[in-house]
Amino acid sequence: MRRVTPDTIAVVDLAVCDRCGLCLPLCPPEAIHLELNLLTVDRDQCTGCEKCVAPCPVGALAMVAYA
Amino acid sequence: MPDVDVLIIGAGPAGSVAAWYAKQAAPNLDVVLLERDRAVGSPVRCAEGVGDAGLREFANPDGSDWAARKITKVIFLAPDDTEVVLADCGLGWILDRTRFDAYLAAEAAAVGVQVLVGAEATGMSRNGDGRWHVRVKERGRDELYRARIVIGADGVETMVGRWAGLDTRVPARDMESCAQYVLQGIDVNPDAIYLQFSNAIAPGGYAWIFPKAVGVANVGLGLVALKTDGRNARQYLDSWVARRFPSAARTSYTVGGVIVHTTIKKTHADGVLIAGDAAHMINPLSGGGITNAMKAGRLAGRTAADAICAGDTGERRLATYHKAWMELLGEDHLKYYRIKQALEGVDDASFNKLARTANNIAPDKRTIGRVFTHALIRHPQLIPVAARFFV
Repeated sequence: MRRVTPDTIAVVDLAVCDRCGLCLPLCPPEAIHLELNLLTVDRDQCTGCEKCVAPCPVGALAMVAYA
Repeated sequence: MPDVDVLIIGAGPAGSVAAWYAKQAAPNLDVVLLERDRAVGSPVRCAEGVGDAGLREFANPDGSDWAARKITKVIFLAPDDTEVVLADCGLGWILDRTRFDAYLAAEAAAVGVQVLVGAEATGMSRNGDGRWHVRVKERGRDELYRARIVIGADGVETMVGRWAGLDTRVPARDMESCAQYVLQGIDVNPDAIYLQFSNAIAPGGYAWIFPKAVGVANVGLGLVALKTDGRNARQYLDSWVARRFPSAARTSYTVGGVIVHTTIKKTHADGVLIAGDAAHMINPLSGGGITNAMKAGRLAGRTAADAICAGDTGERRLATYHKAWMELLGEDHLKYYRIKQALEGVDDASFNKLARTANNIAPDKRTIGRVFTHALIRHPQLIPVAARFFV
């Protein structure tokens, strides 16, 4: 299935992230992964929907230009 | 390649109890419990409150080192800080989850479960041999486990459900973002839990004070991000703590998510069971999940042992787990979810009025049922809430 490239995608600021995992089930395309206790957003899966940004209890997620 | 019968991923209350019951039901099975973190029970991402009756089905809190405080009172705080002390709300406990989770894992180990810490499952696939092959990272090494049944007890951030093809996603309105401090040197009743409902303090959720000792408490809040003014949970908590406990020392801080949804549609697949927070088995009204997780773990452990002994770990047989859970608590959670939705329509002014009305009831008769009845008589605008409650 072809995916439309979004203008912006989510990124995790690992200096702020508390690794609580709250964002994982909130991501509709399941683009956020937790491995070796680090959360990362898969830039090829993120659709730029921003649903993970506001719920982060510490504000560790932000949207950046897809480049 | 280690070959095991039951592989449990996550050594929280659901995982440890599942391992314990699986091994107890069939002592000749190889049961392995994996914990991603280097210590069971840490970090604590929990307000640590639990009801007495549910807890006692699994562990005796009397004189234990993992029960921090016995709770005999529930105090509701209106948005304007009016206190409503409830009568007859039963007993509860504030746990020390670091010790409690370790205690449960030790109980599992005592019946013969192999507990591995610092072991993170990173993926799994179903192979032609009818087993799950689970990739596990352990001290930097990759190990492949073969398992007849995998029990996913890996919490809010569950990956096992995802790997098994189950839908564990949560709509944003049903996820509460939580932040909590352990505060020292605060003046609250150490025998009471305090719950404050207010859209200004914790929109869509509530704020709590759960005492762990005299002068020490878990002080936190959960909110629904879609209803906030743009601040995150930690910022809301900072405002509340600055107002209520300006001189307290903050000795610990944690954040996390509580899923206030209902049980996922399907908690099982071929050779897979999902239990606890991972399957959204949380009371959507209270956000409580500890006893729910243990009860689900008990069902999952027994189901897994029975299935392996019967030589059939297929999805159809494992469906008995989902059915048993729904009958035990899953159906109740559907009801609580409707109450939660109804309560979302109550504004701060109505909560303040309700608190003053409730305080006109004699203290010894101020039960939750009576408070609710009074609320309906004095505040007819709440009748739709009651109607939805009983539907």
